Amino acid sequence: MDIERYRSLAEAYGADMSRWPQDQRDPALALHAREPEAAGRILAEAAFLDEALDAWRPPTVSHALRERVLAGAPRPRAALGGRSLGGRFGLWLSGAGLAAACAAGIVVGMAGSSAAISDVRADEMLAAAASEDASTALAPFTVSDRLTLRREA
Amino acid sequence: MAGGSRQGAGEDPDQDLVARVGRGEPAAVQALVARKLPRMLALARRMLGDAGEAEDVAQEVFVRAWKQAPKWTPGAGKFDTWMHRVALNLCYDRLRRRREQPMAEPPEQVDPSTGAEQGLQDADVSKRVEAAVAALPERQREAVVLCHYQDLTNIEAAALMGVSVEALESLLSRGRRALRAALTDMAPARS
Repeated sequence: MDIERYRSLAEAYGADMSRWPQDQRDPALALHAREPEAAGRILAEAAFLDEALDAWRPPTVSHALRERVLAGAPRPRAALGGRSLGGRFGLWLSGAGLAAACAAGIVVGMAGSSAAISDVRADEMLAAAASEDASTALAPFTVSDRLTLRREA
Repeated sequence: MAGGSRQGAGEDPDQDLVARVGRGEPAAVQALVARKLPRMLALARRMLGDAGEAEDVAQEVFVRAWKQAPKWTPGAGKFDTWMHRVALNLCYDRLRRRREQPMAEPPEQVDPSTGAEQGLQDADVSKRVEAAVAALPERQREAVVLCHYQDLTNIEAAALMGVSVEALESLLSRGRRALRAALTDMAPARS
């Protein structure tokens, strides 16, 4: 390597030789050992620009950006399984609730056809029917309940 | 010349991390964000010169990274290089749109030739350097950003830019020469 090649490398990549092409580093070091003054001046010039460039500080990552990025990140597979299980379970519950609501409608229709059932009792039944817990939703509509409702009517 | 610089061209230092991200491990997700988000944001900021657009680009890079991680093939290249490619393409799109539709209010630019006599503070120096880099022709700016700021090897940077290593070196030389001319008055104050 001659001094001109050394200069062109410093002008392109700067004073830090670890940025220089790998296969040029040893020849550059050898030249530096042979011509320390000239090589030193070249590196000093390049170092000034490196230092100036480093004064341009990188932007900081805002909390909001970090949160937006994390919001889209993949979820653990176990969590995905749990979520889909929850989804299926939730769907089943929704189905049960819907069935219970239908049952409530039928019972109310049967028992309340005489328009004597109280609004309060009907509200209680519908609230229970809408519950996600199918057992509690369906519990009020036993045969004895229907009889009770008929008696109230 | 063919040699790379800083990082070797061999194994991907992010390989294990990306595999864990692909499995959705929360700690790996946090680690990848901590490792790469500042890097992607800095790249976009320095390429585009606009903070808001840079955030949009950085976020979009991660949207794609989250999709890519589960199907990432080890040995196919470095994930960091892939992220750089995505970010650069997004930046190119935005720069092209700017050329086609000049903005009513372009990003604020600082005159790189002023300020020497003002007793430069760090923030002033930072702004001046930013303005000087922004004033470079696009390809020279890209070469300087990739090699100096993003610390990529000459081979990686050349590949990302789609040019030969010799062409990259020429772009770097011209870019740095222009920067030295724009910032030369800073030399005595800093020596």
